[in-house]
Amino acid sequence: MAAMSLLLRAAAAWGARRAASGAAGGFRLPWLAGAARLPGTVAPVRHSSGHGKRMFIIKATSFYDTRFLNLLRFYIFLTGIPVALFITYVNIFIGESELAEIPEGYIPDYWEYYKHPISRWIARYFLDPPEKNYEKEMALLDVEAKKTEMRLMELEARRLMRHRGDGPWYHYETPDKNLIDNSMKSTPDN
Amino acid sequence: MPEDSDWEAYKVPPTRTPVSERTTSVPNPVAFFQTVFNYVIDAPVTFVREWIERQQAKNKYYYYHQKFRRVPDLSECLEGDYLCFFEAEAQWRRDRMVDQEIVEIVRERLGACKQREGPNQFQNCAKEAELLAQVTKAYQDRYGDLGVHGNARTCLMKQKHRMMEERKAQANASQ
Repeated sequence: MAAMSLLLRAAAAWGARRAASGAAGGFRLPWLAGAARLPGTVAPVRHSSGHGKRMFIIKATSFYDTRFLNLLRFYIFLTGIPVALFITYVNIFIGESELAEIPEGYIPDYWEYYKHPISRWIARYFLDPPEKNYEKEMALLDVEAKKTEMRLMELEARRLMRHRGDGPWYHYETPDKNLIDNSMKSTPDN
Repeated sequence: MPEDSDWEAYKVPPTRTPVSERTTSVPNPVAFFQTVFNYVIDAPVTFVREWIERQQAKNKYYYYHQKFRRVPDLSECLEGDYLCFFEAEAQWRRDRMVDQEIVEIVRERLGACKQREGPNQFQNCAKEAELLAQVTKAYQDRYGDLGVHGNARTCLMKQKHRMMEERKAQANASQ
């Protein structure tokens, strides 16, 4: 960018010098009618009416930026517009439900506790009833509570059987006492 | 869609602007602007809204507020009964949400009263202000400093401490 502006300035200076030498030599280039100027300066020059001199304006590229914004808009609107139209249709023609007291003896289904029709639809066809979730959590807690209780009872039983020695656990195999050879203790003079 | 709002809840008393008699023959410019507003904005919007409501009235359906059964409290649960703890905890959370909504409604009532009365609010809204003070004090006493991890158990412990303080204060007062 800096090199570009330096190049521009060098080109302008060269053009000015050429125009100045041309003016001194007498032959005027038709498009520099007037004194030699830097590009962009105003001079009384005859051009096509209304538009002014056509300039080749040098600026940084906006190709990538516009391409990105175009693609962004395209992909957002690709699904955004159908979804917005669908939601508008639902809101206008189906409408939200009204709050009412629960009639006597009637148990509403779990999706009838929502107001917006799309929330009701999602709750009805995709989500589980909250009672099911509640029962699942309680079942998990129940299983874990029973496991805890079993483990504590097992530890207590182990402790007691080891201590008292009268239970089926903590039996260590010892050889039969009839196999012991008592011959070396049998006479007092061995 | 906006929330259901009940205009009758905050009754605005009828205005007591006196009827003034006309002293000029120049027509009131406000009438002109009112008719312009009526034809340009009010009538089309009302028409569209009523058309929409006629479409929606063809298939009416309702939603309800869920009523939960009361389950035994945390203080009525046996020790080690984790299922009872779970249900009591769920009930406590629902009750706390209900209490939060109650405080919010009382606050809104005070706000509506202040808006309605304008400069007379300090005299005419005394009842609502008193009610809000009582309700917030009660909420603070019960759920106040439990923190973000507060649950039914910590709340029960706080209640126990409050009762102990009360008993101590009574014992000190009777001495």
